[in-house]
Amino acid sequence: MGYVAAKGGFDAIRAAEDLVANTRLEGKSSWLDLDQIIDRLGYAVDRVMGEGGLWDETTAARAFRQAEGDVIESAHLVRAHRSTLPRFGTTDAVDVDEIDVMRRIVPAFREPPGPQLLGRTLDYTGRLLDTPDEDDARRSALEAAAARAEQPAVDVTEATSDVRVPGRLLDVLRQMDLAVDRRSNDDPEPADIARVPARPGAPRSAVLSTMARAESGALVALWYRNILGPDRNLHEVTLGEVRHGRLPVRVQHPLIDEQVEIGNVRVTEVEAIEDLDGPDEDRTKFDVGYGLTFGHNERKAIAMANLDIALTRADAGSFLEQSILMTTDGLDSSGFLEHLKLPHYVTFRSMVERKTVERKTDERPSTEAVAS
Amino acid sequence: MTVLDVLPDAATAAVLDESSKREVRRAILTAIAIPGYQVPFGSREMPVARGWGSGGLQLTLAIVGQSDIVKVYDQGEDGGVNAANLRRLIRQSEGVNTTTDPREATVIQTRHRVPEDTLQSGQTLVLQVPVPEPLRGVERDMHELRRMHAEGDYSKMWVSLYEDLVRNGVITKTTGYPCLVGGRYVVATTPIPRWDVPPLHQAEFLSLFGAGREKRIYAIPPHTDVEPLTFDDVPFQVEEVSTPCRCGLVVPDGDRQSYQVELPQQDGSSIWACSDTDWCSRQRVGAGLLDPATLTETEVEL
Repeated sequence: MGYVAAKGGFDAIRAAEDLVANTRLEGKSSWLDLDQIIDRLGYAVDRVMGEGGLWDETTAARAFRQAEGDVIESAHLVRAHRSTLPRFGTTDAVDVDEIDVMRRIVPAFREPPGPQLLGRTLDYTGRLLDTPDEDDARRSALEAAAARAEQPAVDVTEATSDVRVPGRLLDVLRQMDLAVDRRSNDDPEPADIARVPARPGAPRSAVLSTMARAESGALVALWYRNILGPDRNLHEVTLGEVRHGRLPVRVQHPLIDEQVEIGNVRVTEVEAIEDLDGPDEDRTKFDVGYGLTFGHNERKAIAMANLDIALTRADAGSFLEQSILMTTDGLDSSGFLEHLKLPHYVTFRSMVERKTVERKTDERPSTEAVAS
Repeated sequence: MTVLDVLPDAATAAVLDESSKREVRRAILTAIAIPGYQVPFGSREMPVARGWGSGGLQLTLAIVGQSDIVKVYDQGEDGGVNAANLRRLIRQSEGVNTTTDPREATVIQTRHRVPEDTLQSGQTLVLQVPVPEPLRGVERDMHELRRMHAEGDYSKMWVSLYEDLVRNGVITKTTGYPCLVGGRYVVATTPIPRWDVPPLHQAEFLSLFGAGREKRIYAIPPHTDVEPLTFDDVPFQVEEVSTPCRCGLVVPDGDRQSYQVELPQQDGSSIWACSDTDWCSRQRVGAGLLDPATLTETEVEL
């Protein structure tokens, strides 16, 4: 054992942990249950699942509660949890056309094949702050739940068979010969960005995976930078598909060697149609970008689909690919930003030393001496 | 019953699962085989944030076994908050013993310092790296950076050093000084001070550099040349450390001093302290300036 002049670090950490625990575990209000978080704070739970790269509402809710509502911190907890889990295998690829939609809008056509299904959305809710009497609100919520429980269940099986699994607009564009065909077989197995770092030159599947678990705000900011900022990789995008629905999850059964469905995940899926206007592009056609992320997060999926098509169109030498791959991960950017709070005594001393030495060297004819 | 129930305990107990550790070890072997080359690896998310030693932590977790003795220190201090936190995590996760004495450690994880003691054969220094790319200051495009390293084209770096010298009279690069390793690859020497660069040259020990956020591992194997980039007529300069340490320790002229940090005082003056706290304490005990009994009570927790 060596000698230690100060154990202040350890004591300080423990004191900080106590302060955290005081609020997190005790607090002044009643205990916050996981089902409440999943039920009432769904957008936050969905963001955590998307940015955490793990589908599990309970785990996400647990992380969100532990992180006291900090979404990036929650995503970190989920991803660090993932790192401890061994991998058993991968799911079989699923055809996204199997999506069972709860919401689907097609901004490009008034009456597209399949439904315009508004579904559950905040889009048209008045942005006015509700200020009900808390007791009244709680009572009417209970009454509404009780009333719903007494009603017979609505039979939705008939509607589910066709309307809930619509065709996709890209197929319509292809039939109209309006879409550039970029289908290829050069990226057959999706890249696993948890195992192979996605760097410029990475296949499209790696770029899409990176965006699917990117920080939502980072994608929105990068998108907006292309609209108003110095990056100009977007021209005029119209959305073809905005969907929120369920996709089945299937695996090969390890014993009977057959495909079995083990559940489903909710996703938001977006197709962004770009009006091609580049000098080398086919002006008679459109091209389409794709976005998909866990849970209900339309902002993120729309930004992702836009950036996907922007990247396809970006000039050689553009920094867009590097920006998407290297700067949109919430854990990376936040972690590095926050690391500035760590001690930098050693490095800062080295900087001060160079300034001192530089001044000594500066004792040569200066501009001041020349002026006088 | 879930799948986790049928797995052996070892598969779920640690911070990093066993297959991920093996993947890190493979990257380490590649890094040792090609000194200075930045090996990409599938950096996992750790219980500490990226930028807070997640790369060094993955290296340490991947290489330690039950018989290892680990030292973790940060800015030269064993008692610093981040060092204490990482040490606790490594000990809890891997069940290894820890120490503050670099002479008895088999693995030393460090942020931004190399111990003042001369490390020996068989010891491994794990350096936490925030920015693994030495050329980022002169080139941002990662395609171009890959080409420059592949072709050993470091001309932009040389021009930048020359311009620095012409503009400022000295080379003003501070920490993370660019060095040519094994005559082939230029590396960023993390942000260790220039003071710590000479011990890396033809060292007896293995240095492993882990950048978790940027997903890179590189290595300087024992007995490898580490040459700071500079010009024939402009000698490489380490930081000046002329003022005696507040600890009262006087190192004889000609002997290597220790790297010092400045402690500015209210009245505008400064006093100086050894950056390496364990080294400083041992020297003072040796010189009869410090009673060891006042120090040992903290060992259990650290």
